Amino acid sequence: MTVIDNGERRRGSDARPVISDLIDEATVESIAQEAWISLVGEDEVLVPLPGEPVTDPVSSWVDVVGPWTGSVVLTTGRRTAEELTRALLREHSPEVLEDEDVVDAFGEIANVVGGNVKAALPGSSGLSLPDVGEAPALRNPADLCRIELQWRGEPLSISVQGALPALPAVS
Amino acid sequence: MRALVIDDSRAMRRIVSGILEGLGYETQQAGHGREGLDVLDGLAADQLPDLVCVDWNMPVMDGLQFVSAVRSNPAWRSMTIMMVTSESEHTQIVRALAAGAHEYVIKPFTADAIRDKLALLGLLPQEAVL
Repeated sequence: MTVIDNGERRRGSDARPVISDLIDEATVESIAQEAWISLVGEDEVLVPLPGEPVTDPVSSWVDVVGPWTGSVVLTTGRRTAEELTRALLREHSPEVLEDEDVVDAFGEIANVVGGNVKAALPGSSGLSLPDVGEAPALRNPADLCRIELQWRGEPLSISVQGALPALPAVS
Repeated sequence: MRALVIDDSRAMRRIVSGILEGLGYETQQAGHGREGLDVLDGLAADQLPDLVCVDWNMPVMDGLQFVSAVRSNPAWRSMTIMMVTSESEHTQIVRALAAGAHEYVIKPFTADAIRDKLALLGLLPQEAVL
């Protein structure tokens, strides 16, 4: 019998997982709630309801590199990010916030949420330093776990999104 | 008692320092491991901190490299090192403890979690015990 190696078996075994195989929205929300209580304040809750579309958005994110590779991205309005910064700094908050303060505090929230998302994923992964700015582009819509929340009535989303292009379809 | 808080996030340095100062510590801060070593280098033996709280993921020198550097210097062996980090995988905790960290606190944490760890280490200042 002649066996023709058309690569199908290798593609099957090399298939990368997508995020919905590894983590669900409830886990991401639970991680975010815990981070909020600890970092932002004991009485601060995230309401799991989508809000109005974000105006003047800003994102903070960390990259996860491992068996699953992608980013954990927090997105909210710039004014909400400033409010978050003040909440985080509490009595240490300066009268006039500088961009650097927002980058630092909003980035640290992404670091804490992202670190705990990474820990919930199987296998060992690396975590990048946080970045703040325009969110990384969504590479593969099928490799996305996204939750929409409200904090103090303002919209905030958390996306756990794959960084790799979609694998070619296995025929 | 004295503590050195090393984290690349100013916000996190303020939060950790605030908790420690509330317990009676005098604190110093550094933005990464290399800066932390520079602070220690500049201190006389009787001025060294009793406690170092250090993050893991930082630019220039990360927390694990910092712990290894401190542990390789006999003059700094008396200091207690507590990692305060969002690295929460079991393998990472084992690596940190093997490198010479004494305790490990996972972000997000509460002030009570820090206090409890310090109590376990016998590093609660007298005024915080009373």
